[in-house]
Amino acid sequence: MSSISHILPSWVLTHGPALLVVLPLLMAVLVALLPSKNTGAEKIAWMAVLSTAIICAFIAFGILGQVVSHGPVKYAMGGWEPPIGIGYYIDALSAPILLLITLIAVLCTLYALPSVVAEIEPKKRSPFYAAFLVSFAGLLGMVATGDAFNVFVFLEVSSLSTYVLVAMGASRDRRALTSAYKYLMMGSIGATFFVIGIGFLYMQTGTLNMMDIARILQDVGPDSRVVKLAFVFIVVGLGLKLAMFPLHTWLPGAYAYAPSFVTAFLAATATKAALYLLLRFGFTVFDPSWTFISKFFMYLLAGAGILGMLIASLQAIFQNDIRRVLAFSSVAQVGYMLLGIGMTTTLGLTAGYLHMLNHAMMKGALFLAVGAFWYRFGITQVSDMRGLGKTMPLTMAGFTIAGLSLIGVPGTAGFVSKLALVRAAAENGWWWAVGVIVVTSILAIIYIGRLIEQAYFQPAPKQGAATVAKNEAPMIMLIPLWILALSALVFGIDAEWTTGLAEAAAHVLEGGPILNTPPLSGGH
Amino acid sequence: MHLSPVLFLNIGLMAMLIVVAIAVVRMRSLFAIVMLQGVYSLLSAVWFVSLDAVDVAFTEAAVGAGVSTVLMLGAMLLTDRDVKPIATKQKLGPLLVVIVTGVAMFYAIGDMPAYGDGMSPANAYIGAEYIEATKREIFLPNVVTAVLASYRGYDTFGETVVIFMAGLGVLLLLGLNGNAGQWRAKPNGRNIAKNVTPPRKHIEEAEEKPKVKKTRKAAKPRVRKKS
Amino acid sequence: MNPHVILRVVAKMLIPLIALFAFYVQFHGDFGPGGGFQAGVIFASSIILYALIFGMAAAKKAMPPSWVRIGMSLGVLLYGGTGVATWLLGGNFLDYTRFAPESTHAAGQHWGIFSVELGVLCTVACAMLAIFYAFGSRVQDLSDEDW
Repeated sequence: MSSISHILPSWVLTHGPALLVVLPLLMAVLVALLPSKNTGAEKIAWMAVLSTAIICAFIAFGILGQVVSHGPVKYAMGGWEPPIGIGYYIDALSAPILLLITLIAVLCTLYALPSVVAEIEPKKRSPFYAAFLVSFAGLLGMVATGDAFNVFVFLEVSSLSTYVLVAMGASRDRRALTSAYKYLMMGSIGATFFVIGIGFLYMQTGTLNMMDIARILQDVGPDSRVVKLAFVFIVVGLGLKLAMFPLHTWLPGAYAYAPSFVTAFLAATATKAALYLLLRFGFTVFDPSWTFISKFFMYLLAGAGILGMLIASLQAIFQNDIRRVLAFSSVAQVGYMLLGIGMTTTLGLTAGYLHMLNHAMMKGALFLAVGAFWYRFGITQVSDMRGLGKTMPLTMAGFTIAGLSLIGVPGTAGFVSKLALVRAAAENGWWWAVGVIVVTSILAIIYIGRLIEQAYFQPAPKQGAATVAKNEAPMIMLIPLWILALSALVFGIDAEWTTGLAEAAAHVLEGGPILNTPPLSGGH
Repeated sequence: MHLSPVLFLNIGLMAMLIVVAIAVVRMRSLFAIVMLQGVYSLLSAVWFVSLDAVDVAFTEAAVGAGVSTVLMLGAMLLTDRDVKPIATKQKLGPLLVVIVTGVAMFYAIGDMPAYGDGMSPANAYIGAEYIEATKREIFLPNVVTAVLASYRGYDTFGETVVIFMAGLGVLLLLGLNGNAGQWRAKPNGRNIAKNVTPPRKHIEEAEEKPKVKKTRKAAKPRVRKKS
Repeated sequence: MNPHVILRVVAKMLIPLIALFAFYVQFHGDFGPGGGFQAGVIFASSIILYALIFGMAAAKKAMPPSWVRIGMSLGVLLYGGTGVATWLLGGNFLDYTRFAPESTHAAGQHWGIFSVELGVLCTVACAMLAIFYAFGSRVQDLSDEDW
C-alpha cells in the first residue's frame, strides 16, 4: 500500500484530501458543460467520470497509506488553520471508507456505460454523469471533513444529487418519481435535524471544528441539556440518512426504481457514509463514556438494529420486486452494523465496521447483477427470474456468490463479519443477540434462496415456440460484478487486510473524543 | 425585564409569524398558501433585521419572499389549485413528531445562553476571533463577507455546488424548455418479463402524452404528493 | 391593446433598476450587507419580472436557456478555478493570500473574495433562472379568466 504512496507526486499527497473532493466537483461542472445534442459527448463524459474516479481511488489509496504509516492526515482549507478555518481530518476511521467509495465508484462507472445507454435519455446523459460526480464528491466530502458544518454542506451536495439520480429512473418506471419525492422529503427532514443539532453544538461550544467541539465538550460535561439535545438531533438526522430501522421507509422505493448503477452505488456507499458520520459524532465528538450516550448506544441503537434485522428480513421475504428484496435486506444489514456498534466493545465495533466494508462489496455485486438482468431481459420481478441460471450463467453465478456471502456461508466475507459479530455478542453476554443473528441468517437463506431457486431450478420461459436463448451481459458489466463478487470471496478466505482496517477503526473509536493533538497511532 | 419598543416589535412579529403559519396550514387554496408563504418569509426577514442579522434578512427577503414565491407559483400552476383534505389519521404521525421535537427544544431552553449574551460561547469564542482577525487579516468592513468568502470559503464553495446541482437537477427532470420526460428506457436485449405493464394510473399518464405537447406529467407526481 | 399597459410601463422602468441594484449588492458586499448570493437572486428576479410581464418567449430571447445552462456551470468553475489558481501558486485550496503575498492590506484576499463572489453571482442567478424556465415553460398560456 505504501508503494502507491510513492507513485503519487508529493504535491498530490499533501493536497490529496482537498483534491479528492474538488477534482470530482470541477469535473462534474465540465461534464455538465458538454453539448447535449452531440452523441459523442456521452462517451467523453463517461471517460471523464471514469478517469476522475480512478484518480480519486489512487489518492484515497495514498491517503490510507499515509494514515496507516503516519497517523491522521490534516488539511487546512484556504490556509486557515482550524478552528478559524475549515479543516479536513482523515484518520483510520475515515480513510477506509474513502477508499471504499472511490473503488465502488470506479466499478460502477465501468458498468454504467451500457447501462446508462439503455436507461437514460440520450441528451440527458452528460448532465446525468455530472450529477453522479457531484454525488460522488459529496460523499467523499462528508467523510473527509473534520468540520461539523462542512459535513452538512456536503451532506446536502450528495443528497440533492442523489434525489435527482433516483428520479432519473423515471424513464424506466414512473414510480421512481414518487420514490425520489419521498426520499427528498425524508432526506430533507434528516438534514434539517442534523443541522439543528450542529446549531445546538455551536451554541454550546462556539466552534464548528470537530476536534475543538470535542475538546470543549469535555469541559462542558454531559449535564448540559443543550448537548443532550444536540446529540439526539444529530442521531435522528443521521439515522434517517443511514436508514436506521424505523426511519428507513425511503430506502426500498429509492433503491427499487433508481437507475441500475445508481442503486448499486448508493447501496454500497451512501448509507455507509452516513453510518461513518454516526460513528464520528457518537464516539469521537461526543464522549461515549457519558451515561446518556452509552445508554443510548446500548438500548436504542442496538435495539433499532435488532428490530431492523428481524422485521426488514421478514419483509424482504414477501417482496415481489428483486430490488425491493435486496433493499429490505440492506435495512436488515444496517441493523447488523448498528448491533455491533451498540455493543461499544472492541470486538463489537470491529465487527460492525467490518460488516460495513463487506456489505458494500456484496450488496454492490447483487445490485449490479440485478441491473444486468434488466439490461438483457427487462426483469424486475422475482417470478421472472426463471431460468436465469441458463440464460445468463455468468451474471447469475456472480449474483449467487454475493448472495451466499449475504447469507453468511462459510468461506465468504459475510461469514467473517457475522462470525465476528456473534463472537462480540457472546463476549458481551448478549446471547439473545446471537439468537437473533442466527434467526435472521435463516431468513436471509429464505429470501436469497428464493431468488436463486427461481434462477436455477425453474425452466427458462418460452417465447413463441423456443425457450429464451442465452444472452450474457456484456463484458464491461460483468467485470465490475465479478470483481465485487470475487472480493466477497477473497475477503472471506483471507480477511486479514479488512479485519486490520476494521481493528484500526475500532481503535480510533475506543480512543474516545479526538482532542486537538491526537496521538500518532492511527493504525497498526 | 426591560420593556423596550424593540421587545414589543419582536413579540408582534412573532405573533404575526404564528398567525401566518397557522393560516398556511389551515388554508385549502394553494394560491393563497403560496402568497402567505411569501408573507411569512417577509415577516421573518423583518424579524432578522430586528435581531441584527442584516445579511440573513437580506437573503430571506430576496430568496424567501421574492424568487421562491414565484417558483412556487410556477410549480402550483402545473398542479392543482386546491389542496385535497388530508385524513385525520394521516396527520397524527407528523403531529406527534412535531410535538416531540418542540417539547425537546423547550426542555433545553433552561441551559441555553441568554439572547444577546456577549459571553456566550457562540459570541465569545470563534465569533469574537473572526471580528478581531478580519480587521487584521482581511481588511474588510463586513465581517460576514470575510467569514463567508474567505475563512469559511470552502463551505460557500459547497453551497454554490448545491445551487448548481439544484439547477442541473431541474434541467435533468424537467428540461429548460419543458420538454423532458417523454423518453422510455428499453432493455438492450429481449424483454421477457411477464409483468411489463406498469400499474393502471401509470398507463393513463403514458397515454395522455402524445395528445398534448406540453403536458405537465413529469412535474405532477413530484409536486402533487405534497398535498 | 394590451390590458396591462401600466404594468408594462412600470416594469420597464423597474427592471434596469433592479438589475443595477443587484450589481450594487454584489460589489458593495465587502462593505455592507449583501454578496454574490443575494445579488444573484436579485438579478434573476429582474429577468423573472421581465418574463412575467412580457412573456416567456421574450425573456428567453433576452436570456437564452443555453446561456443559463452554461452560466450555472461557469460560476462553479470560477469559484473552483480560484481555488485551483491558489494551488498553482503553491498555496492550499482557496488560500487567497497567494494572489498578493507581499501585500500589507490583504490585497490577495480581496482579489480572491471578489472572484469567488462573482462565481456565486453567476451560479445563483443562472440556477434560479433555470428553475424558473423549467417550471414556466411547462405552463400553458393562462387566460385572465383562468383565475
